[in-house]
Amino acid sequence: MASSNFNFINPFTFLNVQDSPGTYVGDFYTDNFEKGARAGNVILNLGPQHPSTHGVLRVLVELFGEYVLRSEPVLGYLHRMQEKMGEVKTPYQYLPNMGRVDYLNPIAWNWAFAGAVERLAGLEVPEKAEWLRVVSAELNRISSHLLWWGAFVMDLGGVTPILYAFEEREKINDILQIVTGSRLTYNYFRFGGVGQDADGRFVDLIKDFVPYMRERLKMYKALVTENIIFRRRLEGIGPMGEDICRRYGATGPIMRAAGVMCDTRRLYPYGIYDRFDYDIPTGPTDDCMGRYLVRLEEIKESLRILEQAVRDIPGGPHIVAKAPKPAYKLPAGESYFTVEGARGQVACHIISDGGKTPYRIKLRAPGFSNLSLFAEAAKGTLLADAIAILGSLDLVIPEVDR
Amino acid sequence: MSEKGDPKAREARIREALLGFGAERLTSPDPKKSGVALSAVMPGERMLEASEWLLKEGYTLLDLSTCEFQEGFLVSYHLDSFTEPFRLALRVLVKDKEKPVTPSIHPAFQGAEWHERESFDFFGVVFEGNPNLVPLLLPHDLPGPPPLRKDPKALASLDALGILGDGAAKEGGKGKEGGENGV
Amino acid sequence: MELSLLYFVKILVAVLAIIALMVGNAIVMVYVERKAAGFIQRRPGPYEVGPWGTLQAIVDSMKLLAKQIFVPANADYILFFLAPILAFFPVLLLFLPIPFGPYLTSWETPDGIILILAFAGFGVLSNLLGGWASNNKYGVLGAARAVSQSIAYEIPLILALLAVIYQAGTLNLSEIVEAQGSWPWQWNLVCQPLAFFIYLVSLVAETNRAPFDLPEAESELTAGFHTEYSGMGFALFFLAEYANMLLVSFVCATFFLGGYKGPILDGFWWTFIKAYLVMFFIVWIRWTFPRVRFDQLLNINWKWLLPLSLLNLWVTAIVIKVIG
Repeated sequence: MASSNFNFINPFTFLNVQDSPGTYVGDFYTDNFEKGARAGNVILNLGPQHPSTHGVLRVLVELFGEYVLRSEPVLGYLHRMQEKMGEVKTPYQYLPNMGRVDYLNPIAWNWAFAGAVERLAGLEVPEKAEWLRVVSAELNRISSHLLWWGAFVMDLGGVTPILYAFEEREKINDILQIVTGSRLTYNYFRFGGVGQDADGRFVDLIKDFVPYMRERLKMYKALVTENIIFRRRLEGIGPMGEDICRRYGATGPIMRAAGVMCDTRRLYPYGIYDRFDYDIPTGPTDDCMGRYLVRLEEIKESLRILEQAVRDIPGGPHIVAKAPKPAYKLPAGESYFTVEGARGQVACHIISDGGKTPYRIKLRAPGFSNLSLFAEAAKGTLLADAIAILGSLDLVIPEVDR
Repeated sequence: MSEKGDPKAREARIREALLGFGAERLTSPDPKKSGVALSAVMPGERMLEASEWLLKEGYTLLDLSTCEFQEGFLVSYHLDSFTEPFRLALRVLVKDKEKPVTPSIHPAFQGAEWHERESFDFFGVVFEGNPNLVPLLLPHDLPGPPPLRKDPKALASLDALGILGDGAAKEGGKGKEGGENGV
Repeated sequence: MELSLLYFVKILVAVLAIIALMVGNAIVMVYVERKAAGFIQRRPGPYEVGPWGTLQAIVDSMKLLAKQIFVPANADYILFFLAPILAFFPVLLLFLPIPFGPYLTSWETPDGIILILAFAGFGVLSNLLGGWASNNKYGVLGAARAVSQSIAYEIPLILALLAVIYQAGTLNLSEIVEAQGSWPWQWNLVCQPLAFFIYLVSLVAETNRAPFDLPEAESELTAGFHTEYSGMGFALFFLAEYANMLLVSFVCATFFLGGYKGPILDGFWWTFIKAYLVMFFIVWIRWTFPRVRFDQLLNINWKWLLPLSLLNLWVTAIVIKVIG
């Protein structure tokens, strides 16, 4: 056995080295992509294992020197057939899946699915539950943006900030753990409410967190935003105007950076968002820097919502008295529910035929549409800029692939 | 360009335009209950024209949700304008189950390319004019029928569900009739 | 120069000492770098292996030694193994003319800096060969970057040193140290601040360290020219990187910071303290700054550092002519 494990290279292999181009065999997608390539250009596979594709995204790029002439994202490496699972499981069984669709922003997905079911079933959600939903969604938005912030700077070569971001993220995880019981893939929402009521400690921790986070944001600004290298890497890179966003269906911070005030919280008010006073930040520019600044501004706005929320806490139950039982059957019909996630508009489309399991569940992942824009935005940029653009899209591959 | 103003006038304009593109069964369900403000069944071949018009109106394609019914594949294009909340659900019913083909709206909404490829993956619906209709999320050599196709016995009737918003199912028993007249 | 047996024995002993210094330096610097990175990132850094994690670097090197050496298919077998060796061994030669202490020079030669600058070019050759021979697209991209970066930054680096050489009127490193005084205001740093700054920027670029680590830019090229190297191949590149850092730090200490001369008592300790301060500076900025883009990197060089260093040289020459 020992000898078979010893795999040292045969020193005579160099005698029959085959270095002709024909020996390289690409897979289906590479072959498909190669058809349009100009002779002499390099076709490079960024991913599926690449440090800056955040998971298992694979991007095929055609390089001329360092310039990206064409690119095509290849998806499906993390495809888990979430939509099929929705058809074979009852809504209650399916609910925990929502925490896994986008592991960085599970609350938005919880809300999208629970909201769609409630809309179809005509369930009213108590005030306290709505309050808890808003608070947990905003905390989750901050934690998602924080991780993005760190990972984005890491894409640009700055390794330190992600650990600073994790410090704050840990605090948010501590807070959310009190109500949700978990630190990553939250399964908090129930049909007609939330899983658990908050205690005083939850509120106290949020009260401590808001001023703390504001101080940290100042530090972020001094440490990263005003760094000359950082600014030069982002300003004017990857402009995505309103037109391209509309054509590709990009939502969230990308479209807001283009100057469009598209926020589901404002356009289709859900929960009790209409009670709070907050702004929708739109970008000063539509480049990577604009998207960066929009996300940092969103953290501030979420803090404002949290600050107002802890001032006035409604009482009452955290879930409706007649909450659906696990064997609950959805009434026949269709409903479409959209939520503003950290990455854009999260939507859940349910078609039910009145059976035990939904007839069809369609999940609208914002990252999916946002990524489809990459090929056009990265055309003609340098490889390093393409990485910056990819980072500024804030991709979470499980969500894109579902 | 869409001018801000009276939502009623806006709705009327969109309705008129969609009827011009051959829309049928236009309904305005309660957005609070269904999530869409206007639902319509479009003829597949005019969908691209309608998309181009909607793009000029400031609409964007949110997603493309396909579902299989007894009558065929219902492709729902959800569109939204972010200047004013008025979400549309435009449906195309692809009746031929053996060779489901419908024109692509890629020339108008380039983002539709991926959504259409996803539908092609899951249901085998072919979108004519899509520049790169290869599997997106599933492996290219996946054996068997598309995974979201249903067992023929489990298929629901589109009209019995009443999801085209004409309330046929809710009124009871009229579902079949509505189907014959409408689609 | 007298070529006696004693002379060769001296060189041999010096080479052995330099190998020990390079390996010891790598072990110390791995620990220092990881610990410093830990403190910069608000975490403890290595602390499991040995007291305060001091044995971490040794354990790491054991792991690297024990790892399988993987050669990718269609790689150029000879060049693939030649490249890491070529990265490591020329550095040995570069330490020979460095005056560590008043009488502690391995090889007293009248044109020591020429030797260093000439053989420093081997570093980039090994990067090029390593990237090319591994038959990897990331490797080739990294190699191409390494060559253009290294060629670009060698010029301001040499011009910055040349200003000091004009001033001292010698190419001998010991004499350059002797031309400076013991106190900080007598060092070349004071009369050549621009040259010092240009040298400092160029040395970071020459050693391929962040924010100029483009040949191995992790987020773009995974690991650049050494993507396919594992085990000892990687370890040799790694050793060479730290040896190169040490070398440029020693040259920096010699040229700008008074070498072994220091307050109170001259001696080799001052060389080491100064060199390691420069090393710490390199480590510090690595964990602080994001990476520049490749065209920006070249623009900094060709549009700013090169004209500035030429200007500096010109002014130095005029001042020397006027005073001298």
